[in-house]
Amino acid sequence: MELIGHWIGSIPDFAVPYALAALGLILTERAGVLSLGAEGFMLIGALAAIGAQLAFGATAVSLVLAMLAASAASVLFAIMVVWLRMHQVIAGLVMVFFCQGLSSLLGSVLGWTNMPVTSQGAVALWPLSELPVVGRLFVQNPVVFLTPFIFLAVVVFLQRSGAGLKLRAVGENPQAADAAGIPVETYRFLAVVAGAALVGLAGAYISLLSTKLWIAGMTGGRGWIAVALVIFARWSPWKALAGALLFGCIEALIPQLAAAGVKLPQYFVLMTPYVVTLGVMVWVAMGRQRGADAQPGALGEPYVREERR
Amino acid sequence: MTDAVSGVPAPRRFEPLFSRRYTLEIRQQMAWPQQAAVLALAVVAGLLISGAILVAAGVPAGELFQEFVVATVFDAQSLQAVLFQGAPMIMVGLAAAIAFRARYWNLGLEGQMIWGAIGATALSVYDVGPPGLRLLLMFGVALVCGLLWSLLPALLRLRWGVNEIIATLMLNYVAGNFLLHLLYGAWKDPASAFPHSPAFQPFERLPELLGPSGAALGIALVAMLGVWWLVNLSRAGLYLRFVQASPPVAHAVGVPVTRMVLVAVLLSGALAGVAGFLVTSGQEGRLTQAFYHGYGFSGILIAFLARNHPIAATVVALLIATLFVAGRSLQVFYQIPFSMVQLIQAIVVICVASSDFFIRHRLRRVLPS
Repeated sequence: MELIGHWIGSIPDFAVPYALAALGLILTERAGVLSLGAEGFMLIGALAAIGAQLAFGATAVSLVLAMLAASAASVLFAIMVVWLRMHQVIAGLVMVFFCQGLSSLLGSVLGWTNMPVTSQGAVALWPLSELPVVGRLFVQNPVVFLTPFIFLAVVVFLQRSGAGLKLRAVGENPQAADAAGIPVETYRFLAVVAGAALVGLAGAYISLLSTKLWIAGMTGGRGWIAVALVIFARWSPWKALAGALLFGCIEALIPQLAAAGVKLPQYFVLMTPYVVTLGVMVWVAMGRQRGADAQPGALGEPYVREERR
Repeated sequence: MTDAVSGVPAPRRFEPLFSRRYTLEIRQQMAWPQQAAVLALAVVAGLLISGAILVAAGVPAGELFQEFVVATVFDAQSLQAVLFQGAPMIMVGLAAAIAFRARYWNLGLEGQMIWGAIGATALSVYDVGPPGLRLLLMFGVALVCGLLWSLLPALLRLRWGVNEIIATLMLNYVAGNFLLHLLYGAWKDPASAFPHSPAFQPFERLPELLGPSGAALGIALVAMLGVWWLVNLSRAGLYLRFVQASPPVAHAVGVPVTRMVLVAVLLSGALAGVAGFLVTSGQEGRLTQAFYHGYGFSGILIAFLARNHPIAATVVALLIATLFVAGRSLQVFYQIPFSMVQLIQAIVVICVASSDFFIRHRLRRVLPS
């Protein structure tokens, strides 16, 4: 019972980065921009959060600066895909490589690598935190409690606001949106930048709130897993949250099993998230008949007004 | 002042710079000397930006040319190092190019390299086959292992349409962890207890051939000629060109699209597997933890910069190898982290990819009527 309590309590730590990154990606991809750069923006966010924490020591400030840093990096991506109409897969890949190189370089030049930081600890949500078994679920850092509200805000924006409707229109059919007077390029640009901010927050969560230090390449493919999660969730925020929780449950189980004395070959255990992602991708692809229309109609297509289609 | 391309005469009255209006037009085509000029400008721009970053990181501006060009190309020992580094680089570049020609994003080059190297090393660790044939066997096993590791994502993509970008990347992490499992477990070097495999026997190392890297470079050049023949002269190459242009149209005119994609992907995996063999047997002489770092990424960039052309890929691969060697000396002499090499590659590719916009579009001034 004790073990299950610990397991449940550690789920959010694994799930929240996936959830936030997937949400940011959904925001970008609903506007029709395929964002493969997530892994890179996550690294930038992770590095910036540690740097800001070393400089100012205030968790909230560091998180905001991490989001701004990831957004700043995404401006380069936005220029490439929105203004220069570059192939979005190439642009996304090169963005990942660019951010990997840049974050690793800055981390060692500025001396932020392997520097432990202290950040905002867990907060108990009394009286829920006194519940048996699930009580630990309510002793978390504030970002965890904030995450459902961030999701709510994005869903309300996408589904209930005029700007959200226009953003989705741009992602579904940019030609029609343009004809209706919606500034396609502006919407796409802002969707990339806003989405990257959330991805950066996910990275900051990993470095600042989970591991509490920076190591080059520390996100270890979580950005790619988030990309897969978005496909799994068929571009729906709530399904993405559920998927992130599923991944969180699986990843959180591993240290608990080890603690319970189950002998597992370490490196096979480390493969789990990647194997699960692959399995999920296959499962989604096999059941493609349902919800195949959920993908934004113009995802991955640069919008070229001068081209008649 | 006359616009040379369109022949539109300039307006007589001078307009202030900021009140001029421009529109964007799709360019139907651009003559190849102009295209080459745009490309060259983009590469120069990328190198200038990279140079500026290096200077900011503490390399004296005057030394850059010395470090990068003179010390690497005109020094016999460094040139040797470039060729040494170049052989596996050519292999991954070719591997990426052949897969991209089939519209398949093979981002699993590193995983396929790892399996190629594991396969080759297994023969050494378990002492399989007579010493005289050992090297040949290692080559063959590496090829097959790389091919098999690329088979799963290829089948998933062709059978169920699973996104190969995610699938191949995930399999890289799986392969990397399996490599660590071996090196920290069964294959740990008993002589030193370090997490790398025991050193290869002399007959398991690639022999010298007109210099230390001759054999590896020979294999890479043969691979280049093979790929060149395949894509330019063979029937499969013609089919691949159809597939690259448009898979549905290719299918409609009777090209066996699925089979062509499968062949291209497996060939790509095999080439990457051999690249893994070249690094372990040619350079390191044992299986190490991080021998594959940076190759997957470089392979993709090489193929992109070379527009998937095998001979161009070989040239670009040697340039990237030069960058790697120069990066190592910068690391030693100026304590610049090796990730700088990755950043420079990314910057050059961003500039080249951006320059495509100017090849495909033109800005035209709208004249006041």
